Order: sequence, then C-alpha cells, then structure tokens
Amino acid sequence: MVIDKKRVKQNKTIDKIFKYLFMAMAILSASFIVIIVLFVFSKGISPFLPGYEHGQVDFISFICGSIYRQDEGIYGVGFIIINTLISAFFALILSFPISVLTALFITKIAPKALSVIMQNVTELLASVPSIVYGVFASGVITKMVNNLAASFGVSTYGGSSLLAVVLLLAIMIFPTLTSMSITAINAVDKDLENASLALGATRTQTNFKVVLISAKSGIFAGAILGLGRAFGEATAVAMVAGNKMFGPTFNPFDITRTLTSTMLAGLKETTGLDYDIRFSVGLVLIVVIFLSNYVLNLVKKRVGNNA
Amino acid sequence: MSRKVKDNILNIITYIASAFSVVVLGAIVIYLVSNGLKLIDIHLLTSDYNVATENAAVVETYEYEKPSKHDGIYSEVWGIGFKDIETKHKTKEIAVTYVDEKSPFNHLYSLVAGNNDKEVNIETESIVKNMYYLDDAGNKIFLSKVMMKDASNLVKILDNDAKSIVSINYQSMGGGIRGSLITTLYLILVSLLIALPIGISSAIYLEEYASKSKINSLIKQGIDTLSGVPSIIYGLMGVSVLFPITKLFGATSTSILLGGLTLAIILLPTIISSTKEALLVVPQSLRDGSLSLGATKSQTIFKVVLPSCINGILTGVLLSIGRVIGESAALIYTTSTVINDFPTLLSQGTSLSLMIWSIMSGEQPNFELASAISLIILVIVLIINLSVKFIGKKFTKSFN
Repeated sequence: MVIDKKRVKQNKTIDKIFKYLFMAMAILSASFIVIIVLFVFSKGISPFLPGYEHGQVDFISFICGSIYRQDEGIYGVGFIIINTLISAFFALILSFPISVLTALFITKIAPKALSVIMQNVTELLASVPSIVYGVFASGVITKMVNNLAASFGVSTYGGSSLLAVVLLLAIMIFPTLTSMSITAINAVDKDLENASLALGATRTQTNFKVVLISAKSGIFAGAILGLGRAFGEATAVAMVAGNKMFGPTFNPFDITRTLTSTMLAGLKETTGLDYDIRFSVGLVLIVVIFLSNYVLNLVKKRVGNNA
Repeated sequence: MSRKVKDNILNIITYIASAFSVVVLGAIVIYLVSNGLKLIDIHLLTSDYNVATENAAVVETYEYEKPSKHDGIYSEVWGIGFKDIETKHKTKEIAVTYVDEKSPFNHLYSLVAGNNDKEVNIETESIVKNMYYLDDAGNKIFLSKVMMKDASNLVKILDNDAKSIVSINYQSMGGGIRGSLITTLYLILVSLLIALPIGISSAIYLEEYASKSKINSLIKQGIDTLSGVPSIIYGLMGVSVLFPITKLFGATSTSILLGGLTLAIILLPTIISSTKEALLVVPQSLRDGSLSLGATKSQTIFKVVLPSCINGILTGVLLSIGRVIGESAALIYTTSTVINDFPTLLSQGTSLSLMIWSIMSGEQPNFELASAISLIILVIVLIINLSVKFIGKKFTKSFN
C-alpha cells in the first residue's frame, strides 16, 4: 500500500480546520448570552448617566417610583416590580398544586391510556404560542373576571385586571411545572416506593408521602423555572394587563402593569428617552429574574437538605 | 375502612386536578373554533389585509354570454356579475361576484396617482363604490352609490344605458393574511439558514470534540442560560446588536431580515440540544469503525455521524419552525407591527403571531380574525408535535 504523504497532511489540515470551525461556532453560540447582557446593560444604564442626550434620569426615582407616564416623561418602575412579583407568585401558587397533582396522576395513578392522553394534553398546552393564550385570555378570561367582579358589585376595565393576568400566567406556566414534576417523580428511587409498600402503606399513601416528598427538590426546580417564565411572559400578559399608570395594584379586579407589558406599551418611535428607557426596564427584568432564581435556589438547597 | 376512603379522596383529587388542563385546552379550542372557523377559507389565505381602493379605467367592450353556473345577478352585455351584501359595519354594498375572462372589467388599468397605467384586476368580493359611463349621446355620466341602488338596478343601468364604461371605483375586501404568511415563511427561512449551521456545529463540538475543560463547561453553561432568556430580551438585543448588521444590507428601519437574525439566536438552544441528543444516541462503534477504516475525524463526522442523526436535526428544525411561528415579543421590537401585504426581506412586516398582536392592540380588537389566525397556528403546531413524535418513534427503532 502506498501512502500519499501529501494527502495525509492535507487531511490533517482539513481536520484541524473543521475542529477550530466547530469550536468557533460553539464559542459564538455561547457568547450571545454575554452579548445580550452587555448590550442591554450598557443601553439600559445610559439614561442614568450624566451627559445623556435626552436628559439624565434620576436612578433612585426610577427604581423606587410609583408613577409611570410616558406622556409626561415620568418613569418610575418601583410599583411595576412589585406588580410583576405579585402576579407571578400568585400564578405560581394557583398553578403549583394543580400541576404537581396532575404530574402524580400521569405518572402513578392514571390508567395507561388516560396517562398517555394527559401527557399529550400537557405537551400540547406547552406548545401553544403565547399570543394564542393572549387571544384566549382577552376573549374568555377577561369575560369571566368581568362577570365575577359584577357578582361582587365591582366594575372592571372590560375584565383586564390583575386577576386576569394571574389566571393567564397560571395556565401558561402549568405545562412547565407539570413536565418538570413528571421528570422529578420518575427519578424517585423505586426501592423507596417498594420499601414503603412493604411496610404496609397503601399505594396512595406511598404516592403522597414518599414519592412526592422525595421528588420535592426536582419539583421545586420546576417551580423556579415556571416563575422565570411568568416574569418574562410578554405579549399575552400585555393583552390583559391594562397598563395602570401608578400603583402598586393589590385589588385583583383593578388593572395592573408588569415589566414586560411596560416594555411593549405604546412602542412607536425607535429613538429618544421613551425608547431607551425600555432597555432600562428590560435590565430590571433581567435582574429580577436573576435575583429570584438565586434566592429560590438557596431555598431549594435548604429544602433538599431536609429531605 | 377510613384509610380506603382517605385514599379514594386523594385519588379523586388528582383526577380533578388533571381535569383542569383538559378543560383549559378544550376551552381554548372551542373558543377559537367558534370564533374563527367561519373566517377560514381560501380567500383569507390568499388576499391582502389592507383595503385597497382602486379607481380603474376600462379599455374595450365586447358582448358576453352568461356563464352557466352563475347564480347571482349578471350583466350579459358587460360580462360581470354582482350581488348585494351587508358589510360588518351593517351597510349595504354591491360586491363583484364574477368577471368574465374577456370582460372589459378584466382589462383595467389603474388611475390611482403613482400607479399610472398599471394593469389591475378586480377581485371577486370587491365592493363597487361608483362608476363613470358614456350614454348613447356620448355624455359622461357619474353613477353614484345612491343611483346604483342594488345589484339588479346596477345591471339594468349598465345593460340599457351605458354605451361604454369610462372608469370604476372599487374597494378590495381586505382582511386576508397572505402578507403575514409570506413574512412567516421569510422568517423561517432566514432564521434556519443561520441557526442551523451554527447550532449543528456547536453541538458537534460539544459532543464530539470538547474535553472536560473549564472553557468547555463555560460554553455549555452559556448555551444553557440562553434558553432561559425571555424572548422580549432577545428583541432588545436584536435592535441594539443586530440592527447595525442589517444596515450593511441596506435596511433603513426594523425589517424582516432583522427579525430573522434575532430568531436565529432564539433558535440556537433548541437546535443545539436536539442535535446533541441525537449525537448521543449514535453508537460509538459506528465512529470507531469509520476511524479504523482510515477515515479522518471530519470525514467520520460528515459521512457517518451526521447522516445517522439526521432525525434529531429534523426534530430541531420542526421545533424551530414552531417557535418561529409562535414568537411574538421579540418580533415586536425587530420587525415592527405594521401589517404589510407585500413583504420583502428588507421591509417591515408581521408574522402570523405578530399580525394577531397588531389587530388585537388597536382601538377595536378584531377577535374573529385573531381567532382564525390562532386556529391556523394551532393546527400547524399540532402537526409539528405529531411529526416530532413520529420521528422520535422511528428514531429509537433505527438503532435497536
């Protein structure tokens, strides 16, 4: 056999080229997260720096402010942060028990055929785009909220309200919570279950007292992920939030304003303070998601240790 | 006994809990079908959204026979059919039902300023606003809406009095989604064209090359974090980082190209993870076999490994298409919310989802059209879901 040395060398160079090409692409993919944070940070921080072309904004009154009026140039996001936290947490509280029970139903309780159907329903709900949820929310949920409010003798702004946002978000984070819970429950050691059954516990007791408790760390991770979704959800929320100009909103039938709905409200021009301030709001959103993730992960560690 | 009752109660609670999701999905489908289904037809898919008023002149005249299947009111002299309709705003109008191939109304040229001498076609369902015709004496007569009265009266006037027709002013029905469909296709093409090579290469690097070094775990972490970023943040990134790039191609404002580029980055985590999963399943023996036969590593990757994980890549592509169709928040910032019936790569435009946003955020939200488009999106998503499942099943079979 004759070995063509030139060819071997050529092949080696080609190999090297491809290796570095693949590597470059991987680095490029990973660098986008850095680019996103850097650019949103630098653009978001610019209105607070001295010498900003459209007039410097005071950072403290921006972050603590309780009035947000584009038309008057007053930008305070303090109450918006509170609104965002409220709507997301209540959505989580509503959605959490339902999705954990659904996950338990799918994995342990349901007959095989029903379990497959339920799994498909959950997957389909997960793939429904947020804008479709938005249409549903502004067509159905707002009407429900309006009727509910009317039965209390309260009038709403056509149903757009904090309650509508909470219900919408609860529906939207349900698939995430459920699928994460399913993964967590499936990961529970079979021996634990068998031990519980052998000790005389019933199937149901085992499911609720052994399986769910052992899966709590994974379920909690799902809750963190779902909360992140709820914070970042934009178009659907903007369709039913109503964009209140001051706050915070505690009345469930009153309109509200979240960070994302603020970023989308009245977007017309692509220059000027009103546009740049959206980057600042986006930056606040990133910080809120990051901080809540961090805090909840600390909590999760505690929960996990106690298991 | 009490233990059994307790157990049953707990079990029933899980049944009730899981009924919620079925109810929600059912409610969504029922709402969309009851509101939107009646709008979905070929006209919706093929026509413009914006109403166009056209003032067009007629070129020549013939005589025509009535088409055998026409059931409306028909002018045999002019080869055009009309009917009376009631619009959404409860006004009575006369709409065109049929235009003969040889009818003078099929040979119109536009009189609208800036559109001079352009040939236009009167679409069926267009609403007739007014007309000018010449009578026997050669007088130019204006036929207003009031004078037309209804379809049969219009035909009577046309057949008896009009010697030749000078011009017709009509309005297309509008409300179609053709422009948004084309924009969505553009977005899918642009984003996949960019995201696929980058995403697949990244996955290959991570699975086939990357050793356990600090840099590589950083790369992995970076890509993982990317999937958790809310899409509205991608929109901000798009206008600030990618806009200068589209400027190089001649874009002056936000554009479909910019939206496509932004979407490409949104798609990266999806494509990378589905390719990675597929690469993981390819048996190591395949790679070893190829290498021991003397193939180089890059040859092995391109000719052995990649072909055997084509299913995983296909799954990634399908999921990506679903994501592009459903994406709205990022696109509001990058492609604008102006519904454009004639989109080009460098113009503004709306995808299907964005069109929903656009018609819902106006003064009078159009629930019916929004539901119709949502229904279309939902059907596409369902088809994608089923195909992904189908591919997944075939995929697991092929290596067992």
